[in-house]
Amino acid sequence: MHMATTSAPQPIVHLSHVDKDYKLGAVTVSALKQVSLEIAPGEFTVIAGPSGSGKTTLLNLIGCVDVATRGEVVVAGQDTGKLSEGDLTRLRLNALGFIFQSFNLVGVLDAFQNVEFPLLLQKKLNGAQRKERVMDLLHKVGIADYAHHRPGELSGGQRQRVAIARALVTYPRIVLADEPTANLDSVTGTQILDLMQELNREGTTFLFSTHDPHVVSRAGRVVRLVDGRIVTEPDEQSQSSHA
Amino acid sequence: MFTLLQIAARNLARNRKRTLLLGGAIAIVTVLLVLLTALFNGTQASMLRNATTLSTGHVNVAGFYKITSGTAAPVVTDYVKLRDIVEKETPGLQSLVVRGRGFGKLVSDASSQVAVVSGIDIEREANFKNILEIVSGDVNRLSEPHAILIFEATAERLELKIGDNVTLSSQTFRGANNSIDCKVVAIAKPLGMFSSFFAYVPLQTLRELYSLDQHTAGGIQIYLKDWEQAEQVAAKLRIALDKSGYRVMDHMDLPYWRKFDIVKREDWTGQKIDVTTWMDEDPFMKWTLFGFRALIVIVFMVLLAIIIIGVMNTLWMAIRERTREVGALRAIGMQRHMVLAMFVTEGALLAVISSTAGVILGVIAAYGINAAHLKMIKGFQMVLMSETVTLLVSVPTVLLSLLVIASVTTLGSILPAWRAARLQPVEAMHSSN
Repeated sequence: MHMATTSAPQPIVHLSHVDKDYKLGAVTVSALKQVSLEIAPGEFTVIAGPSGSGKTTLLNLIGCVDVATRGEVVVAGQDTGKLSEGDLTRLRLNALGFIFQSFNLVGVLDAFQNVEFPLLLQKKLNGAQRKERVMDLLHKVGIADYAHHRPGELSGGQRQRVAIARALVTYPRIVLADEPTANLDSVTGTQILDLMQELNREGTTFLFSTHDPHVVSRAGRVVRLVDGRIVTEPDEQSQSSHA
Repeated sequence: MFTLLQIAARNLARNRKRTLLLGGAIAIVTVLLVLLTALFNGTQASMLRNATTLSTGHVNVAGFYKITSGTAAPVVTDYVKLRDIVEKETPGLQSLVVRGRGFGKLVSDASSQVAVVSGIDIEREANFKNILEIVSGDVNRLSEPHAILIFEATAERLELKIGDNVTLSSQTFRGANNSIDCKVVAIAKPLGMFSSFFAYVPLQTLRELYSLDQHTAGGIQIYLKDWEQAEQVAAKLRIALDKSGYRVMDHMDLPYWRKFDIVKREDWTGQKIDVTTWMDEDPFMKWTLFGFRALIVIVFMVLLAIIIIGVMNTLWMAIRERTREVGALRAIGMQRHMVLAMFVTEGALLAVISSTAGVILGVIAAYGINAAHLKMIKGFQMVLMSETVTLLVSVPTVLLSLLVIASVTTLGSILPAWRAARLQPVEAMHSSN
């Protein structure tokens, strides 16, 4: 398990002895057990593991869409266990970016509007500023020509590029991606990974889950989960924390 | 937020079939509401116009004169003085007429019947002449002494035609029997089921029947610019007349002919003034309108309940289909109240567009029905005092219909929207829809 050193910058994510239990009728299932983890700025980290190992659960806790049963989850300096529902939503809006496996774009809005949406929720920029920011990002992810196409008119790879732009539009501290290439063919998946790596080189912190060995091999750091516990492989320990 | 409106509009357009089905239902309910309220308004206006011509003003200043404590005559003495006060003290006065009030028996060679007999000054009764539809004779001849106007049903029962004589007999207010012969000068079409019990003679003829002097009349019928102010005007007149030295009777929700026995039992003599409204004098019309209004409310409530259930069901479906979208939006930072607003906007947009379309269609349909001059069936003609279906489209009522339908259907969307807003992002995102 990689832990940030004292000389490293303040971690964006800090998990300490986190458990997550789910009740399935009378049975309690432990999805995460005693997970401790820190993610520093600029990392390009993969959470790897087989299906059911707890990858998505861990991302959900870090993404503040779920709460830990026990332990401490600190994101962008805030202890999420002490925040209200509204505060958690604000934290997600201002500090986190999300990329989903099945893109989850708003089907009735075009690419531009989908990317613009978090800025509208933030209410910080005026129309001209929003337009500039959105178009800049659409250029960056290589989809500016499709700005006024709705998701239904885009390919899977194009949709995921829109989702990446949407995740980045608010200058989040960290972008969380749940199996971002799982619904894409291998060529498109590679292109998306290239794009994410390029954005990481420019300073964006990424944390994503996958069980694809090809994707794992591109990671700067691998956090391996098995049965809800973090298992660190020796060769991964020696890897750089940056891509 | 404009984007929420855009999302709502586009989602409605995307589910065209469902939107058209529910929107159509909302529009139909709105059409029905517009037509029902227009029918109510039309009927009310028609009944009120007819009733206030036959037997009552919007407000009436009349009263009883008691020679002894055991008698009661429905007259006012020195009516000119009373009329001057009424003219001065009535806010929103449009016009007033002086009428005589009586109750007697009409006897012909063939038969007889009891009748409420009104004494009128036909030269001052423009409305009366406009509203009555004369089958035969000439209403203007009511200016002739001992002339009488009767309705068709009376003419048939007593086998009378224009020029025939009919004897009008009654008991004077001093208790003596008296009768006069009248000549039928006009026969009118019925104005509601009670019109056959009404007959009209010149005011002076009625005075002769009851042995009254020139200064005595039955009462003053007041017509207001806004009939809905009748209650307030009546209350104001009671105070004004009291201040002018008249003894004013306590308000009783009864027509004057049902007050005889009550007044007779009271221990006073002389003149007392009674101020009433059309609702007091024509309780049948009041209850007919009340029943009609209640029927409309019940029908409307049932239709509205159906629409609310429809809106809720449609939104449940929309929310089920878009659960993952809701989860994703919550994850990227959309607050609960925004999710609520997003779905309520969808419901409100559907409601506003559909009910506006319904109002437009309803108004067109109302004008179409009026233009077609549809005949009412006989029973309704008698009760509603009109031969044809008359719809009165009033702008405030139409706007109210629009507001009520749009608001209530929007309210129907709140519960499903609230449930959507309560969805946990993590569960919504992983929903299988």
